[in-house]
Amino acid sequence: MRGDLRSRRVAVVTDSVLNPPAGGADHLTPLTDGGWGLVVLPPSGLPAGTERAMIAAIADQVVTFLDDGYEVALGWPGDERTGRLIEALSAIGRRVERRIDLLD
Amino acid sequence: MRTVCYLAHCLLNANAKVDEGARCAGVSAPVVGLLREHGATIRQMPCPELAFGGTRRFWAVREQYDTPAFRSHCRTLAQPVAEQIRADLGAGARVVIIGIDGSPSMGVELTASAGDWGGRPDKPRDEDYPVTPGPGLFTETLLDLLGGDVARARVVGIGQDLFDYDEPAELAKLAAAVEDTGAR
Repeated sequence: MRGDLRSRRVAVVTDSVLNPPAGGADHLTPLTDGGWGLVVLPPSGLPAGTERAMIAAIADQVVTFLDDGYEVALGWPGDERTGRLIEALSAIGRRVERRIDLLD
Repeated sequence: MRTVCYLAHCLLNANAKVDEGARCAGVSAPVVGLLREHGATIRQMPCPELAFGGTRRFWAVREQYDTPAFRSHCRTLAQPVAEQIRADLGAGARVVIIGIDGSPSMGVELTASAGDWGGRPDKPRDEDYPVTPGPGLFTETLLDLLGGDVARARVVGIGQDLFDYDEPAELAKLAAAVEDTGAR
């Protein structure tokens, strides 16, 4: 067996964390160095149906991690997609309590 | 020309790996670092196994996942990804799809496969994981949905799920794919 190095910590972040705008803050490096795994929300500008399907899939993933006792946090402040994920989770009676400050 | 890389979910989140399969804490830093050095836009594809089998799932082979329900699940997840890839291609971007060789779902050139696997695992994760040439189930579904547009994208697998994973060699392969100007 080679062991398993997972952190059991997952941060749900906006696309801008993974693809920061020119001159934007680098939040990816501290999250990586801190051992967080990332679930990345879709970027802006997608057709509504495409975005809805992606956020539904992410909600399923988040619930899976929560149910298995992983620490899950929302990158904060988020964007509109973060709000839609919160709504999708709320619709099934779930909530992510923890926030990680990712202020620019 | 902008390059957009679609990564297998676990390259950004090792917590999605099968039990005993995580090679790092969270983000695969060498892979992401390489893509950032090349100025690529990074997208994360969904993990088809995570929400289907949970985080405590064993290391299965393709045949164990090859059911109508899992194929339907892959199609549901792959559809919006295919739409996003088409939009990127339409905007003139170069697209690189990066899977996980050895994975039964995210494999590109190699996928875990054995006709006799089943029941309770009696083999350690890294001693006997048979692979065969060909894509995993999600990759196959995504490429099918892309149809003729596949020819405009580059598709490459990183062998993180292979017993003999050689990170420097795999990173060199990835760099070549990202730098390659011709899609195939």
